[in-house]
Amino acid sequence: MGKKIQITEYLDIDLEKELWCCNRCGRELISARENYKDGCLIYGRDPRTVYDPIIDAPYNFAHDPEWVRFVEFYCPDCGVMVECEMLALGHPITHDIELDVDKLKEKYLVTE
Amino acid sequence: MRPHWKELLDWIKPEKFTAKDIERMEGLQPGEYEIHNEKLNNFLLEAREVFIRMGISSMLRSGDLAVGIYTADGDIVNSSTGTIIHTMTTLLPIKFVVKNWLDEPTVGIKEGDIFYSNEALYGGVHNPDQMAFMPVFNDGELIAWVAAVTHEPETGGTEAGGMVLTAKSRHYEGMKLSPIKIGENYQVRADMIEMMENFISRAPRMQTIDVKARCAACDRLRLRIQQLAQEKGNEFMRGLFCTTIRVAEEGAKKVISKWHDGTFRGVLFHDSVAGQDHLQRIYCTVRKEGEQVTFDFKGTSPENDAGSSHGFPHTLATATGMYLFPYPFHSLPFNAGSFTPFEWIVPEGCLWNPSPEAAVSNSGYMTWTVFGVLFPIFAKIIFTNDRKTVTGTTAGCGGGNIIAGINQYGVPVADIMAYPLNSAGQGARSDMDGTDSFGFAGIAAGSRGPDAEDVENEYPLLHLFQKHIRDGGGHGKYRGGTGVQSAYIVHHVPWLAYNCITAESKLVMSQGVFGGYPPSPFPGIDVRNTDIWEKMANAENDIPSDTVEMLDRKALKGDYVIQSEARPTKVLMNGDIFLASALGGGGYGDVLERDPLMVIKDLQKDLISHWAAKNVYHIAYDPDTLVLDLDKTAELRQNEREERKMRGLKPEDFKKEWAKLKPPEEVLDLYGSWPDAEKVRDVIRI
Repeated sequence: MGKKIQITEYLDIDLEKELWCCNRCGRELISARENYKDGCLIYGRDPRTVYDPIIDAPYNFAHDPEWVRFVEFYCPDCGVMVECEMLALGHPITHDIELDVDKLKEKYLVTE
Repeated sequence: MRPHWKELLDWIKPEKFTAKDIERMEGLQPGEYEIHNEKLNNFLLEAREVFIRMGISSMLRSGDLAVGIYTADGDIVNSSTGTIIHTMTTLLPIKFVVKNWLDEPTVGIKEGDIFYSNEALYGGVHNPDQMAFMPVFNDGELIAWVAAVTHEPETGGTEAGGMVLTAKSRHYEGMKLSPIKIGENYQVRADMIEMMENFISRAPRMQTIDVKARCAACDRLRLRIQQLAQEKGNEFMRGLFCTTIRVAEEGAKKVISKWHDGTFRGVLFHDSVAGQDHLQRIYCTVRKEGEQVTFDFKGTSPENDAGSSHGFPHTLATATGMYLFPYPFHSLPFNAGSFTPFEWIVPEGCLWNPSPEAAVSNSGYMTWTVFGVLFPIFAKIIFTNDRKTVTGTTAGCGGGNIIAGINQYGVPVADIMAYPLNSAGQGARSDMDGTDSFGFAGIAAGSRGPDAEDVENEYPLLHLFQKHIRDGGGHGKYRGGTGVQSAYIVHHVPWLAYNCITAESKLVMSQGVFGGYPPSPFPGIDVRNTDIWEKMANAENDIPSDTVEMLDRKALKGDYVIQSEARPTKVLMNGDIFLASALGGGGYGDVLERDPLMVIKDLQKDLISHWAAKNVYHIAYDPDTLVLDLDKTAELRQNEREERKMRGLKPEDFKKEWAKLKPPEEVLDLYGSWPDAEKVRDVIRI
């Protein structure tokens, strides 16, 4: 195992291997130069399974599943929910973290 | 003469220090900055209190305001901890006046002058935000400016309340004053007050009293600064102001230098324009390199001619401060120096950079789209080095519920209901739940919901209930704070006009972070032709005390209208009821990591439902005694983790199926091209 730095609650980067890893189980997900979401399992959740609509009406207490879904990203090994992104139906998944890996290595491998 | 949007963006950043400025800063003795900066803070707090005590509109009295001190050039030096965005936007009309009126013989800038402005094109947010500002002279030399600003909930537009939901251009939106002199020799001119009352004829009393409150706050601040200048001299004051800006600039750079270099992206959706269902997209890319940060909003939906949900680029830029100042910059002075490291890219033609003729009176609400998208983006930038500052989105949007009519004393009134506005839930943090009903997302501290009795004393309303929303906060390892549900009965008067400028009934603008869920939406609900007075007169014990209870049991007779929270103006009759809501904050982390005891505590406080405890948090407990079964809970949660692995798809498989989906065509007409939100048609404004 190389030197790891924690980037989010559930994501580490192994600086020597240049890999995204699960912070909880250590699973190596994908290259740190790629979108970590491409190293996860993905599920588009109906928001009505998180918030009870309570009433049967076009406007209720849950997000409209015809408009948005909660797109969930899971660690393939331990099943922790690494991230959840509310997206319009069919909207491309964002590449939300694109770190300058070279600068990161320079900062944490050289100076420490 | 009207400033170009690029000029306004440039003005946000402070003027470069001159050699004389540096000499003045070096002239300060050790400790003098610390002592006298604290004096400036005290001056601001005093002026803020004067402001609150003298005004009458509900946002003013709620502390939803700002008072600020500026250099002679107009750069913000420091501000009260009121509405953060005003801290920055107020400097722009001042810079306009310095640039254009200082040497203009028909205007000029003299001791005792009082200026006023409420025009977004000259630097404000939208025309409800009215500001008074005064030059501060000492020994005949202009050494500073002071300003007082707050939102006035009436502008004389085509709908009451100032934020004209259905405005198709600026010409629907009522009074818009470019920076104008309204007073001389420390006196407000009567003809200017008459002009404003003529514009604001729905609530002239409120307008006049609040104008005077702004001027009084300015004048108290002016007096204190003059007194200090008399004691310490003008060179000292200028050195003090420059040092405050330099401290903020150096502090901002120090904070930023700890963040990771890279490119970070976020997307946020908005569900309503002009009270109708429309999907729009806000797309933000943040590039951070060294001490420089660029916000790029390319990919944001185009401007439209349907409503007033737009804003100008300087408003967007200052709205980024609504995230930065309370969170990563929480220890820095609120001034222009903090903004030195930032650049903003706002493409012309997007809803954040529309034509100057566009309607923008709802841009205050639209600022939620800016700082709302920043919470999850910055969570990923700052987590490694500033974990405790990470939160789910605190953009639980307060309700923008407006009433207008003749009150129980025969006085014309128009106002926004400041309790639901100022009681949204805070985003969950990395180590604790967000605060329930914490306040207004755009205020660092000091906003408050007015007392229900005060509201009933001023306006023809009776509260049926006002309480936390169950399941309102975003679920997560740490739960987003929940918001508020309020129900108002029209009382004392035969009718009352009503509208609501906030939406989020099909989706919310807040996101969770790191697996936390967004908070829940809330529908717009009116109940007409009720039997509430009969029930109260008969002391019946089934009067509802909660929205769900009201809808479930329908104990009240009446016509229930369930719609989007965003509602153009309508008239309610005596005994009719309208509901308002302040939404919750985003959650933090995986729900399966939430301490089961915290779930039980939420049940005890009625902050979550048994449905959520079972279906979202997967805990096992006795529903009657609330005694936990920890072993069974561990088993349920492990089962859910295994379920996730079963239902989760490989990215290539998911994307293939996902790309086949699309929201309904009828709500995409203002979105732009799908999915990139490029402009697809011209907007013609006349």
